[in-house]
Amino acid sequence: MFKASTFFLLIFALLVASIPSFADDQKTKQVVDQISKMYISSMVFLFKQQWLINQKGGDKSELFSTKFINNIKAAYEEKYQEDFPKAEHKAQKMLLQAMIEVMEDNRPILTDADIGFKGVIPATFASQLGRKLAIKGMGLKIKFTRMKEGIRNKANIPDAWESAMIEKIIAAPKIYYDANAIVDGKTVYRHFTPLPMKSYCLNCHGTMADNPLNKGKDEAQWTNIDMTGFEMENWKITDFAGGISILMEKSSLK
Amino acid sequence: MIYFLVFFLSFSLNAATIKVGLVDYPPHIDFKKPLNDSKLFHYINDVFKREDLQVEFIQYPNKRGLLELKKGNIDLLLPYEEPEESVKIFSRPLFYSVPGLCFTKDKFIPILSALRQFKGLRVAIPPGAPVVSVLRDSGAILVNMQGSDIINRGIALTQFGRVDAFYHPSPLKVYYSGIKRYKEVACSFFHGYETGVFIAASPKMTEKKFNLLNDIFNNALDKLSYEYYFAR
Repeated sequence: MFKASTFFLLIFALLVASIPSFADDQKTKQVVDQISKMYISSMVFLFKQQWLINQKGGDKSELFSTKFINNIKAAYEEKYQEDFPKAEHKAQKMLLQAMIEVMEDNRPILTDADIGFKGVIPATFASQLGRKLAIKGMGLKIKFTRMKEGIRNKANIPDAWESAMIEKIIAAPKIYYDANAIVDGKTVYRHFTPLPMKSYCLNCHGTMADNPLNKGKDEAQWTNIDMTGFEMENWKITDFAGGISILMEKSSLK
Repeated sequence: MIYFLVFFLSFSLNAATIKVGLVDYPPHIDFKKPLNDSKLFHYINDVFKREDLQVEFIQYPNKRGLLELKKGNIDLLLPYEEPEESVKIFSRPLFYSVPGLCFTKDKFIPILSALRQFKGLRVAIPPGAPVVSVLRDSGAILVNMQGSDIINRGIALTQFGRVDAFYHPSPLKVYYSGIKRYKEVACSFFHGYETGVFIAASPKMTEKKFNLLNDIFNNALDKLSYEYYFAR
């Protein structure tokens, strides 16, 4: 009898002790979910604003500072039909600040009145943003990645966990999450959001027929080099486009 | 704890004035403009004044600044980007500089990770510049540049068609150089190859003082990074 009651007490104590940890995990999952959506929203905004980015001259103020963040907020709310997070978590604040910094880094070219295509596209923005966050060393890493083969930017090559998630996503597309991964000896949250292939991805990654540079030209004159200078990969709309991988050190949550 | 430490140690510094040497590094410190217009000046001034430390700023040409720092005539020197053993630097950078290529606008290559575009490209390299591996191994023809005025020389070489582009360790300096001809070129960056730009401390500074100032700076960065302060 004594043994049974001790056993039940122990189980109860374990359950109670696990509640804060479960709540922490749920809170973190929510924060990382929101970070993923913020990141995707910034890419959506930049895609939609390619006309402004590549315009020769004109008012570019919507691409900088607070205005830029306000535009990302609007893109977020339109895409996800929910309010933009208050960004109270330091990782979220850091992300928004880094977005402003990346656009500022690109200011000289964005405001160049003589250059048309400026190369500030969602993929390069995402890559610069990921790099900026990584070198800040604040425990937040974001990567826009896909299968290792044929990846354009070597910095985006997936690690073992990301490769495993990509395989899972191809079999069953959904967001994958690991609350207790270990990377470089540190406990981290990992999160992978698949991105669906869109027709605009194919402008650069599709076939020669998708290449806007070939529009209006005879087929014999078509090029398989896209506007960014890379060889096109002949992807189709049904192919896996890639995903957003987020890594957040648990120590950064304190 | 840090506040207590800072208070205690700053008191023990006998309300000393920190002498900060500034070198020209546009757009962060731009000698062509009044110092009051430079954001980095305001950032550093605020960081130390918040801790009740007096700061005296002195503007120097690059080499002279480093000499004064080594002699111990100034406590700090910034921005500082060529670490050498005899000079201490703060543990975290102020900001990062990203190398890149500058082209005449009709030959502009916006994304430098598309390496196939580099084959046969003639690129002028300034004397002593550490060329990023991706460019060295790209198939581009690297041409050594002569002279010290690398921005003017680089622009001239590209304009005369002697090269297709010139390399610069920090093309932002080209844009903010104040040279009117900068508008005739456009630069793109080797993202992923950035290097830190630091605050250097005099080798004559005591360990205690160095740690104090380094802690104050780190604490300030955690609250508001200089890069964000500049960009916001």
